[in-house]
Amino acid sequence: MIFPFPSKDRHVSTLHLHAVGLKKTYRKGRSLEVPVLHGVDFSVSQGEMVAIVGASGSGKSTLLHLLGLLDSPDSGHIYLRGERIDHLPDRKRDHLRNEAFGFVFQSYHLMPELTALENVLMPHLIRLSPWGWFSRKKELKKEAAAWLDRVGLGHRAKHKPSELSGGEMQRAAIARALAGNPQMILADEPTGNLDAETGASVMRLLRDLNRERGLTMMVVTHDLNVARQADRIVRLNHGLVETYVPGLAA
Amino acid sequence: MYKYLLCWRYLKTRYIALASVISVMLGVATMIVVNAVMAGFSGTMRDRLHGILADIVVESYDLDGFYDWREVQSIIQDDCGDQVAATAPTMETFGLLKIYLPNGEAVTRQVMVIGIRPEDRAKTGDFSEFVQDESGKPVKPSFDVPKAWQTHSPAGHLLADTPKDDPLHEILAQQAAEQVPDRGAILGYALATIHRPGTTSDDFIAPEGAKIGLAFPKAGRKPEAAYDDYTVVGFFKSGMSEYDSMHVYVPLERLQYMRMLGDGAGNGAVNQIQVQVKPGVDMNVVAERIQRALDSRRPGYFRVATWEEKQGPLLEAVRIEQFILNVLLFLIIAVAGFGILAIFSMIVVEKTRDIGVLKALGASNGGVRGIFLSYGLALSVVGCGAGMIEGLLIVHYLNDIERAINSLTGTRVFNPDIYYFSEIPTHIDPWTVAGVVLGAIMIAVTASVWPAQRASKLHPVQAIRFE
Repeated sequence: MIFPFPSKDRHVSTLHLHAVGLKKTYRKGRSLEVPVLHGVDFSVSQGEMVAIVGASGSGKSTLLHLLGLLDSPDSGHIYLRGERIDHLPDRKRDHLRNEAFGFVFQSYHLMPELTALENVLMPHLIRLSPWGWFSRKKELKKEAAAWLDRVGLGHRAKHKPSELSGGEMQRAAIARALAGNPQMILADEPTGNLDAETGASVMRLLRDLNRERGLTMMVVTHDLNVARQADRIVRLNHGLVETYVPGLAA
Repeated sequence: MYKYLLCWRYLKTRYIALASVISVMLGVATMIVVNAVMAGFSGTMRDRLHGILADIVVESYDLDGFYDWREVQSIIQDDCGDQVAATAPTMETFGLLKIYLPNGEAVTRQVMVIGIRPEDRAKTGDFSEFVQDESGKPVKPSFDVPKAWQTHSPAGHLLADTPKDDPLHEILAQQAAEQVPDRGAILGYALATIHRPGTTSDDFIAPEGAKIGLAFPKAGRKPEAAYDDYTVVGFFKSGMSEYDSMHVYVPLERLQYMRMLGDGAGNGAVNQIQVQVKPGVDMNVVAERIQRALDSRRPGYFRVATWEEKQGPLLEAVRIEQFILNVLLFLIIAVAGFGILAIFSMIVVEKTRDIGVLKALGASNGGVRGIFLSYGLALSVVGCGAGMIEGLLIVHYLNDIERAINSLTGTRVFNPDIYYFSEIPTHIDPWTVAGVVLGAIMIAVTASVWPAQRASKLHPVQAIRFE
């Protein structure tokens, strides 16, 4: 049974983000077309943690990119708190990516030239003018250091990514995603490059943050153990939401 | 803010990009040195040219000149008296010089014979600063031949021992005057000397007191030559070989007389009037006024030209040479710009995933473009700044560097015997330096525009997935 919308969960009440009829086809050259999403309906409620699972090529990451405004759908609409956002001009999309969403990637994607602390500060550095930055520098640095402490990297603040382990880099990336005070975290295979133990600790961290702060989270994964920690699991198959698996939260 | 932070970090960590601006640095340094040396050379040359010629030269089209030169001087005074400092009549004509060598042979040279009144000519231009004696000491321009020279001539020695009532006395006196004519001439230094390769000093073939012969055209319908002998009393050394190897200065009245253009007592024709304007006066304006005034008196007969106009081809050649050198050197910097473009393109490729992440974090296209443009600007400022400092230091220590190279290689890089400069002349024009630096920065920044634009247009998803 296809049931992409949230259940009446204990802490899930209002719709945070929802998408209707999302279609996306990748075009390679003039003739080759690879349809990825065939009209996906999807929604996530405030404070909900949703895991998106599916085989490779099923469109999990594409869906996450569309929802996070990293890409545009060929058709269909996306709404954030009831406001349509998929048709916004570039400038407003940039703004939303900076303020509403926090991204976590499989390969961490920390800036190699910057320290862990500077990486965590990046959303603020992007958001603020030089004047705004210098007037709030102390406060923001303190805040970023607190985020690093929260993810257990307080002692690594001045370390460059090349001096951190995979798990530490992912924790720094999570701190970066949180530092901009986003409404929602979009994580694309956050444990994909980590061993089982480190992956589990990263997922525990995400889950704790979801519970502590009521942060809405979408986690793309192909690891069912990871997915089981979510409030809800959405399975994508050949570009369609195929299965909704409620009640699997840890 | 992230633009500046990343730009600063790239600057500190990407040494390959710093290497790309080394060529810009060298180009800027070379341009500053070349322009300083050329400006030094041309400035010194202009000073010397200007020193030889007065500000304005009024000349007749006819080599035989004009007799009413006092009236012409009056016209100049009446019309531009408040702007004119001094005037000097001169007679200039082509001629042949004969230098008699001690071994009985003679050297013949083609020369420009210039008849002047030393006191008047000294007031127009820096002529007097270029007149020196055999030892190189500056002397006051004069055509007076010391009596002692005649006394010490072979005939003079005999004359001293011969009583006045002796019939030989008159003959010996005549011979002494022939051996050492009482008419002085100031000879161009390069005419009076020869320079033997491998030596550091010049040998005089016509030293002070030497007799020289001059031939020049007489006035009249038929082309005829006049001959006259003079005694060398001084040397003219301006540092311009064109003049030092051509000019022979003789008394104006004698030249007028010998050319059959005067009575030898000051009444005669001249074919030039040198005009010196007062400081701060625009000589072009004065020249135009004089030309108009003289045209109204005798249309088409006088040609009035400033010293710059008279030296037009030479000054223009120097200007063109400097322009072409600048174009060529700027092309070198442009080539360096392509190097920057290539290295920046590589950096954009290397940074593709970071660019994708920045966009995911909310960086705008303009922001990403700004990172690479500010990086290009920072690199070019570093390169051009270093090039400017290097160039200025080289210019400042140019002569020390030349001396060091001389002692290392054992050869003279800059031979003062050729240029008549004791040191390499340099002149730093701040505007030229600013132009070179700004031009190079512009080229380097322009070279980073395309890679920056490419970076800004990267699709965030494709950039993040870039392998």
